Amino acid sequence: MNGRPSTFDRAVRACQLAIAALTVFFVGSIVVWIAHLIRTAWRLDDVPSASIGISLVAIPVFLVLLGVIVSVFWGLLTERRTR
Amino acid sequence: MSDAYVQRDAALFAPIAQTGRGFYFTLVVLGIAILWGAVAYWTQFEQGLGVTGLQQPVSWGFYVTNFVFFIGISHAGTLISAILRLSKAEWRRPITRMAEVITVMVLFIGAGQILVDLGRPDRMLNVILYGRYQSPLLWDATSISTYLTASTLYLWLPLIPDIAILRDHLGKRRFLYSVLAMGWTGTERQQKILNRAIAIMAVLVIPIAISVHTVVSFVFSMTIQPAWHSSIFGPYFVAGAIFSGIAALIVAMAIIRRIYRLQAYLKPIHFRYLGHLLLVMTLLWFYLTFAEYLTGYYGNGPEEMKVFWSKFTGRFWPTFWAMAVCNFVIPMIFLVRLRHHAVGKTVVASVAVVIGMWLERFNIIVPTLSNPRLPFPDAIYWPTWIEWGETAGSFGLFILFYVLFVKFFPVISIWEIREGREVGLREVEERLLSYLPDGTEPEPARDHTRVLR
Repeated sequence: MNGRPSTFDRAVRACQLAIAALTVFFVGSIVVWIAHLIRTAWRLDDVPSASIGISLVAIPVFLVLLGVIVSVFWGLLTERRTR
Repeated sequence: MSDAYVQRDAALFAPIAQTGRGFYFTLVVLGIAILWGAVAYWTQFEQGLGVTGLQQPVSWGFYVTNFVFFIGISHAGTLISAILRLSKAEWRRPITRMAEVITVMVLFIGAGQILVDLGRPDRMLNVILYGRYQSPLLWDATSISTYLTASTLYLWLPLIPDIAILRDHLGKRRFLYSVLAMGWTGTERQQKILNRAIAIMAVLVIPIAISVHTVVSFVFSMTIQPAWHSSIFGPYFVAGAIFSGIAALIVAMAIIRRIYRLQAYLKPIHFRYLGHLLLVMTLLWFYLTFAEYLTGYYGNGPEEMKVFWSKFTGRFWPTFWAMAVCNFVIPMIFLVRLRHHAVGKTVVASVAVVIGMWLERFNIIVPTLSNPRLPFPDAIYWPTWIEWGETAGSFGLFILFYVLFVKFFPVISIWEIREGREVGLREVEERLLSYLPDGTEPEPARDHTRVLR
């Protein structure tokens, strides 16, 4: 045995990284969307306080979710590599 | 993990490993309902909302009723599961997964109702590009997407050790399970990471779940429509959501228990405990309903009273009184004494509550829109086959998602059952001793070194 990962392992790894990237992209795009709505409200002077008020709650929550997701992906996937 | 464990919990693998004729029969039945829904939606998409019973002023009918109902059911899961997990209720172990799955599945269906309700779904893009946060509808979109993300994560995290068990022992779908298990081997570091993440999510998901249904209620209460403009709508909706969520969970448990012969895991005591919770929620629902209607009645506003009497004695009396019977009378009769036949009694009460809560959502939405504050001519909302088809399709889709989940993943958490046997018993004894006057506090660090292999 040469210790190199098999094609199966490489495919699994690629899919796991793709899921991790997609999840980060999904949560990240929601944060960007909320920021875009604040910017639009600000630009049009369309009660930006409502957007800012809601985003003060929503964005930190999404960032915490993102943190949990990244820590789990990172923790589990790097653990396998170090084994 | 030794094979002895797999043998001991073989019943939990059976739904995944074996496929009977009943599974395909179920798929066909659900397929018919979904096809009906698809044909109905295509007809509506092509010809516009004119083919439905929706009109001015009743522009929200079955679709928004379904939306509020499904979002309410979603509280089954995450909220109940998170609360039971945080409070270390040991009887939770076989039921948390089922509850979490309900949450994720119905959230997809519930959010989809809004798309179905749109006559021009292509304009949805405008909400993304030019949405205005002054509108409670956009608060809804934000809170539901938060809840969906959090619930999916909260379902997947405790599923990882079980997926790894399937990867190592099932002998099929190895690629899928290998991908989703994320390299789980059950090392101490992995356990710590996962336990910490589950603990964070269990805390985080409770305020998110409460905020979701509060915000759903704001869609109504932020208007000045009669019988909607109420300050208790938030708690009223949240209580109703938990109420219907528990009922949906009991129905799901009873069906899965019977079909997959899981009587050894889902015991009468689980139904009894959930039945007690349902009874408490029955009383809370009655209290809030009483407070809501009494306040409106005592204020005696002319528009408010039109809606009030249309429900009590007018056009909507059948749905109003059916709601009262289903949500209060039947649960009270069946849930007060659960010493014997706990499964049957809780299931009857739960089916009644699920129907009653759908009717409650209908009674909130349609009578008010039928009697608006503005001088509209009288309108009678009567759903056409399009709305019935969409509703059948939505329920069919939800059940299909659930059935497919059970086919691919263990619907009862295998590792949590095992943890209960190996660690839970000892922990409960230690905890109980610590409650007593001469007991000592258990070390908090123990929680982070649980067995999750």
